[in-house]
Amino acid sequence: MAQFWFYVFTLVFFLFDYFILAMGLNIQFGETGILNFAYIGFVALGAYVTGAVSLPSSVGTAQQYIFGFNMPFPFSLLAGGVAAMLMAVVVAFITLRRLRTDYLAMVLISLSLVLYDVINNYVRLFNGADGLYNVPQPMAGLFHLTSNAFVIFFACVTGVVALIMWFVMSRVTRSPLGRTFRAIRDDPDVASALGKGVFRYQLTSMLIGSFYAGIGGGLIIQFGGSFNPSAWLPGETFVVFAVIIVGGVGNNVGLLVGALLVETLLIHLPAFLPDIPGHPGLIEYIDAMVIGVALMVMLWVRPQGLVPERVRRFQVPTDELIHRDGHSVEAPVIDTMSATPTPSAMAAHEGEDA
Amino acid sequence: MRYDDNVSAAADGPILRCEAITKAFGGVNAVNGATFEVPRNKITALIGPNGAGKTTVVNLLSGALKIDTGKVHLGNIDITNMERYKIARLGLMRTFQLSRELSGLTVLENLLVAPKVQAGESLFNIFFRPRLLQREEKQNLERALEILQTYGLYALRDNRASDLSGGQKKLLEISRGVMASPSLFLLDEPMAGVNPALIEKIGGYILDMKAQGVTVLMIEHNLNVVERICDNVIVLAEGRTLATGKLSELRENKEVVTAYLGEIINAGPSH
Ligand SMILES: Nc1ncnc2c1ncn2[C@@H]1O[C@H](COP(=O)(O)OP(=O)(O)OP(=O)(O)O)[C@@H](O)[C@H]1O
Ligand SMILES: [Mg+2]
Repeated sequence: MAQFWFYVFTLVFFLFDYFILAMGLNIQFGETGILNFAYIGFVALGAYVTGAVSLPSSVGTAQQYIFGFNMPFPFSLLAGGVAAMLMAVVVAFITLRRLRTDYLAMVLISLSLVLYDVINNYVRLFNGADGLYNVPQPMAGLFHLTSNAFVIFFACVTGVVALIMWFVMSRVTRSPLGRTFRAIRDDPDVASALGKGVFRYQLTSMLIGSFYAGIGGGLIIQFGGSFNPSAWLPGETFVVFAVIIVGGVGNNVGLLVGALLVETLLIHLPAFLPDIPGHPGLIEYIDAMVIGVALMVMLWVRPQGLVPERVRRFQVPTDELIHRDGHSVEAPVIDTMSATPTPSAMAAHEGEDA
Repeated sequence: MRYDDNVSAAADGPILRCEAITKAFGGVNAVNGATFEVPRNKITALIGPNGAGKTTVVNLLSGALKIDTGKVHLGNIDITNMERYKIARLGLMRTFQLSRELSGLTVLENLLVAPKVQAGESLFNIFFRPRLLQREEKQNLERALEILQTYGLYALRDNRASDLSGGQKKLLEISRGVMASPSLFLLDEPMAGVNPALIEKIGGYILDMKAQGVTVLMIEHNLNVVERICDNVIVLAEGRTLATGKLSELRENKEVVTAYLGEIINAGPSH
C-alpha cells in the first residue's frame, strides 16, 4: 500500500514539476517567440547548482563538486533558479542581439551540446558523468520523515511552489508586459517600429523562463537526491516542447494538461509498468515512439493544442462609448457585439487565461 | 537625451531633413542621394514610379534599414542609423505597404500595445504598483476604444487581427500608429487596394491627424487624393528627388511629367 502511494505521489511530483518547466518554456517560446532549444540546459544547471549548494563540502567525500554550502531549502532552490538566470543573461547577449529565430534555434542547440559536454567532462564542477548524488532531502530531518513519507511531503511542497509560480506567471502574461511579449512574438519588426526595444523584452522573457527552468531542475534533484547526465540528454528539451504543444501554447491551463498527458501519463507512468516478458526495456522505447507520434499527430490535427491560447476579450460599456463623438459604429462584419454593458468593468479583463 | 520625448510639434523648421541618403542592395541603387525636407504640420506626398525607392526611403527614415551614406535629422536630432525603436520613441511612426498586423493579438490589443512607454511593461510595476497599472490601462483602453470607433473598427475589437480583411488591416495599422501619438507619421500607400468609399474616409482621417498636429508623409499613387489632401509633393525617381513643390506646379515641370505624371496622364489613374 505504501508502495502504491509512493508511485502516485512520484507522478504527482512530476506533474507539478513539469508544469513549472512548461510555464518557463511557454513564456519564452509561446509568449515571446524565442525558440529556446537549449531549455533543458537551464533545467540541468538549476538542478546541479541546487544540489551543489545543499550538499556539504565535497572534501573527504567520493564526489567532486563546487560550492558545498549545506544551504537549507528553499534557499538552495532559489540558488538554482538564479544560476539559470545568470546563464540566460550570457546566452541572451550572445544570441538574441543578432540572430533571427531560426539561426537562434540552431545556436541554442549547439550551446546546449557544449554545456552538456563541459559539465559531463569537467569533473570538478558537478562530479562529471556520475553526476551529483546523496543530495540531502530538504526538511526530511526536520519532520522525521520516512522516505515514502518524504515523497508525499515533497510532492505537496512542489504543488505549493507550482501554485505560487502559476500565480506570478499569470500576472505577467496578462499584464501590458505580456502583451508586448506577444507583439514581439507576432512581429518583432512591428514591435520595434512601435518603440519597443525588442532585445530588452526578449531578455526579460529569457530571464523569467530560465528562473522557472532552474527552479524546476532544483526541485528534481531535491526530490530524487541525485542528478546526472542521463537526466538531461539534449533531446529532453523536446519533451518540454511536447508538453506545451500538446497542452496548448500560450495557455497556462493547457500547460497543466500537457504536463499531465505527456510527462505524467506518457513518460513516468510506463516506468512503473512491469516489463514485457523477454523484452526488458522495450516499454521505454515504445514510450519514446508514442511521444513522438503524439507530437506529430497534435501538430497535424490540432496545432493550437488541447487547450488553445484564449483571445483576450475586454468587457466594455458599449452604451457609453457608442455615439460619443457622433461617430456611428460601422455595421459589424463579424458580429462580436456581445459584451454586456457594465461600466465598472471598464478596465477589467475578461476571459483571460487563468 | 530622452527617447520617450516626442519631437515637439510646436518647434519651427522642418520636422524632418534628409540629406543625400543612399542605399544599395547589391548592385541596385534603390536610394541614390535623395534630399528633401518634410515641413511641420503639413501633409506631404511622396510620389514616383514603381521601384523609385519610396518604400526604401521610409525604411531608411524609420531605421528599418541601415543608411549607406547621408544624414537624417528629426527636428534637430540626428537619427541617422539610430536604433529603430529609439526613432519610434522620438515620435516617428510608420505603416507598412503590405499591412503587418500583430496577428495573434486582438484588434483592441493591437492598439493597446502601441503607446510607446507603458508603466505596465515593467516587472516591478506589475507586482508593486498595481494601482498605477490599472489607471494607465484604463486610460489607454478608453483612448483605444475611441480611436477604434473613429476608424470603424469598434465592432471588431475582440477579433484576432489575422481575421480582418485587407482594408480593415489597413485601417488597423493606421489607427495603431495614431494610438502611439506620433509627431511624424509615415504612411506607405495607405489607400492601395481599398474601395473608393474607404479612400474617402482614410483621406478624412489623415486630414484629422493634421488638424491634431501630426505631420504626415504619405506615399501615394492616386493623384486625385494627392491633389485634395496633400500640401506638398516630393517626386522620387530612381532613388533621387526629382522635384518638390505643389502638385499644380509639378504638373508644369517637364522632367516630372516624363518621369511619372506623363505615365499616369496617358494611362489613366491606376495602381
Ligand atoms: N530588400 C531588398 N533587397 C533587394 N532589393 C530591394 C529591396 N528592397 C527594395 N529593393 C529594390 O529597390 C528598388 C526600390 O524599391 P522600393 O520598394 O523602395 O520601391 P517603391 O518606390 O516603394 O515602389 P512601389 O511603388 O512599387 O512600392 C527596387 O528596384 C527594388 O527591387
Ligand atoms: Mg513601395
